[in-house]
Amino acid sequence: MVCHLFCRQIKFAALFVLLFSAVILPACSSTESETPPTPSRLVYGLTLAPSGLDPHLNASSELGIPLTSVYDTLVYLDEETGQFVPGLANSWTVSGDGLVYTFTLRDDVVFHDGTPFNAEAVKFNLDRITSPDLASQKARFMLGPYNRAELVDEFTVKIYLDQPFAPLLDSLSQVYLGMASPAAVQKWGDEYQLHQAGTGPYVFSDYAPGDRLLLTANPDYAWGPELYSRQTASIDEIEFRFFTDPATRSPALETGEAQIMGEIPPQDAERLQADAQFILQPQPIPGSSLMFFLNTARPPLDELPLRQALLYGANRPAIISAVFRDTSPVAYGPLTAVTFGYDPAVKDYYPFDPARAAALLDEAGWLDTDGDGMRERNGQPLVLDMYLMGWGFMPEVGQLLAAQWQELGIGINSQIVSYPEALAIGAEGGHHLIPFTLSGSDPDIMRKFFHAEAQFNWSKINNPTLDSLLTEAAQTADRPTRANLYSQAQQQVMDQALILPVRDYVNLNGLNNRVQGLRFDAQGWFPRLIDVTLAAQ
Amino acid sequence: MWLALVCLAAILAPILAPHGPGVTNTAASLQPPGPNYWLGTDLLGRDLLIRLLWGSRWTLGMALGGLAVTIGVGLPLGIMAGAFGGWVDTVLMRLVDALLAFPGLLLAMAVVSLLGSGIGAVAIAVGFAAAPGYARVVRTAAVEVRTELYVEAAHSVGCTPWRILVRHIFPNTITPLIAFAATQLGWVLLNGAALNFLGLGVAPGTPEWGAMLVEGRNFLRDAPWVSAFPGLALTLTVLAANLLGDSLQRAFEPR
Amino acid sequence: MWGRYIRRRLFQPAFVLWLAATLTFLAFYFTPGDPAQTLLAASGAGPAEIAQRRAELGLDAPLPVQYIRYLVNLLQGDLGQSWLHGRSVARMIGEQLPPTIELSLAAMIIGVFLGFALGILAAIRQGTWVDTLTTTLAVVGLSTPTYWTGLLVILFFSLYLGWLPSTGDGSFQHLILPALTLGFALAGAIARLVRARVVEVMGRQYVLAARARGIMPRPVLFIHILRPAIAPVLTVIALQFGFLLGGAVITESVFARPGLGKLAIEAILWRDLQVVRGVVILGAVVYVLVNLLADLAQAWLNPRLRDELT
Repeated sequence: MVCHLFCRQIKFAALFVLLFSAVILPACSSTESETPPTPSRLVYGLTLAPSGLDPHLNASSELGIPLTSVYDTLVYLDEETGQFVPGLANSWTVSGDGLVYTFTLRDDVVFHDGTPFNAEAVKFNLDRITSPDLASQKARFMLGPYNRAELVDEFTVKIYLDQPFAPLLDSLSQVYLGMASPAAVQKWGDEYQLHQAGTGPYVFSDYAPGDRLLLTANPDYAWGPELYSRQTASIDEIEFRFFTDPATRSPALETGEAQIMGEIPPQDAERLQADAQFILQPQPIPGSSLMFFLNTARPPLDELPLRQALLYGANRPAIISAVFRDTSPVAYGPLTAVTFGYDPAVKDYYPFDPARAAALLDEAGWLDTDGDGMRERNGQPLVLDMYLMGWGFMPEVGQLLAAQWQELGIGINSQIVSYPEALAIGAEGGHHLIPFTLSGSDPDIMRKFFHAEAQFNWSKINNPTLDSLLTEAAQTADRPTRANLYSQAQQQVMDQALILPVRDYVNLNGLNNRVQGLRFDAQGWFPRLIDVTLAAQ
Repeated sequence: MWLALVCLAAILAPILAPHGPGVTNTAASLQPPGPNYWLGTDLLGRDLLIRLLWGSRWTLGMALGGLAVTIGVGLPLGIMAGAFGGWVDTVLMRLVDALLAFPGLLLAMAVVSLLGSGIGAVAIAVGFAAAPGYARVVRTAAVEVRTELYVEAAHSVGCTPWRILVRHIFPNTITPLIAFAATQLGWVLLNGAALNFLGLGVAPGTPEWGAMLVEGRNFLRDAPWVSAFPGLALTLTVLAANLLGDSLQRAFEPR
Repeated sequence: MWGRYIRRRLFQPAFVLWLAATLTFLAFYFTPGDPAQTLLAASGAGPAEIAQRRAELGLDAPLPVQYIRYLVNLLQGDLGQSWLHGRSVARMIGEQLPPTIELSLAAMIIGVFLGFALGILAAIRQGTWVDTLTTTLAVVGLSTPTYWTGLLVILFFSLYLGWLPSTGDGSFQHLILPALTLGFALAGAIARLVRARVVEVMGRQYVLAARARGIMPRPVLFIHILRPAIAPVLTVIALQFGFLLGGAVITESVFARPGLGKLAIEAILWRDLQVVRGVVILGAVVYVLVNLLADLAQAWLNPRLRDELT
């Protein structure tokens, strides 16, 4: 009797297994999931589902990776010479007072939807970016003291500023200020994100939010800057997919599901490098280094010797070696080594010297009076609050720093907070230590961190000398002068021990060895997709 | 057999004291395998065995803390609903339903966002997320008891509802509920671990098993021991808790 | 009779929905972190601009006003605009719904099949090694975190064996691994429950009596045991929908699939409260509906309950 039931169950289970294998078998026999795509198709792995894909509206760098090839910009920044070269604008002049920029545009450019590119289009774009309705999260602010744009004739446009603004050309060279088709914007309104139209070498074909983005080559492209090594794109289709989980990036590359993958974790990078089937292409990113801000407004960090002791007591090479497997250089200043205006002199500051750190602490009166391993002064234990965000290896770095400082007798309270919370804490100054980083090719980025009124002034510094250095550098067009000013600014920052720089960001890209010609632009993040070719198997 | 596992996990906590200090960080060291360090080291060079042992305290602590919240919130809600019945029952149960409508993980995330992170917050969040489900079970049990004859008898004698609740319903429902709570332990642990995965978990460096599991994920191929051992420990503990709950449930079944 | 019953049952879900909506509104209102600040963070906007953005988003109105606005919009079916993307929340959710439903259904099917199979098997062979093995298997499924099993499954099936694609969606094959991972966890829960209920029912007097007398034609036995056993299991299955959505959150990350889970996480991390509220309300509606259906099904399956509930 029970056997009857059991037999029933066996049948049940057998049915189940049959069903299951009916599903598995086709999967086995079909090799579609295994064979790499045909030569004119490439899968590119992005790491974050971009929080919004409209370059005029949204702010992530992820969106720029595909969209830099969909939009052209007025000018381009040559990463090797540091000079600006013509893009959609043939030439430009700047008025003596630095307040008026006149751009002469190309007359042979056509948008992906067939409409012509002209000065009106430029004005439309700028108006859109600066309109309060759009609520731009980045592009608007990249224009600085922008006042208005005026049409001179069909292919000439003037931009008026309220004050001189040296980073303007740099801003205009970035995808956030790329030129979109006014017709498309007007047609699609709020849904423009899904139907973008620019003038670039790739056309925005299809976008399934959170899932994939498809670009197809633009056969009519004929106005690329001299920076591009090809006239039109070689690869017919590029599909972008999103891999938010770092552990799945390398496997996707290795199974052939993707041919290019960004932000490979350092441990996987070592393995890929050893494998002849793949190429590792590290790309240093200009901008600020990953740095911890030392809150100078909150005791006891308001004392310089203590801050310096923290810096001398941090063994950064060991951290880089353990956490980043030496794929990033150690940072010694607020700017990364590949940024224009970087001053190599910062390398002399604060080498790892625990003896000196201890001496500084002793002199300042922080002594271990009760033998518990922690220093005190006037009965107050030396404990600092450190807030960390959950990504970018900040937790690991934070733990190592805490361990190193603990050996010096400094106690650390660390907590992981979400991004919005971190912003709130940093703004209020409730921290002693909090890390952050931003990327960008113009050293004006320092003004965002170290100017007294800056939003990210998390060191809470109020130094008029520094302020004037940064403001002046933002208004001076002459590059050598700017470099000099930033040099002084960096030294000021390190003299005052406002930050603990940890590392320069390096984007570890993994490539299938069939991928050739991949180069990144001056921003470090954005690839020149037009130049990429895929060799036959 | 299963009870032994649970006891092992519990006994580990006292053994910690003799075996070296807390969480040692040898910054220079990387992640070598077995001989010198019995279970290997993690990315920051910390001895995995020591972390695992200390972690039992944190993990169990978090689990029990979460469980305490679950019981503390769920039990009163469920019992009052079941014992009083009527509109009290309806209102309370609708509240529970509303909470249950949130996916557990999202509910926990909401609570953690409110409280800030750290192991205490995680325990509270996860415990709170499990509370509605628990409240429901409690209520069902309470209702069953309420309809028993002896309760009717007490009522007819003139006991106040409160007295009935405390003296009759509560004692009779508590034993199966303890059994159920044991099975909830697993849920609490797993959700705590999930929060770590999402970056909303314990303070960095806390040797909690769930957190260690998440940390080790990124080098699962090169250094699988970093994830494997905490994972194994976690799974075994949840397994043991569930089995314990089953045994308790069987033992206390009113048959 | 049915009409009255259904009408009564409808009133309470409405109440539940209202409660859920209010809780959602309050929960994320009080979390630290300012949406305007988060959105404008990396851009270099000053405090004045941030304040202006707050006003534009309606965040500077007092709490009761915001709440009323929210309820009114909700009743009209207006879920608002995403602060982060500027697009309609309803549309965004609509886009992410199919993949999540796909995954949830697949996982549910696998979970139910596997769970029932294991549970019944264990109950029939109660006390033998079969029972122990299947129960252990079930509990393992229940107790291992999905992000771990997910990664293991990827490494094994996709990388090592090369059978199945590890990430993305678009074909049936892409669905297998994530559905398996999620379904396995669900199966564990269901299996234990099924086993417990079947064992209990099998121990009941009438079954024992019938078996003792030997009058048990197979199908009749099946119905008499399974029918009462299934009812409470259905309720639990309905409850598991919440688990599936939560599990989807992690599974979608690990398997690089689009879906509501990822949408919700992104929205929570960026304090895009409109989207969060939208997703949660949707979850609540689904949950309430599913439970209602489960209750009705239960009443239909078990006539005794019908009387109790009316």
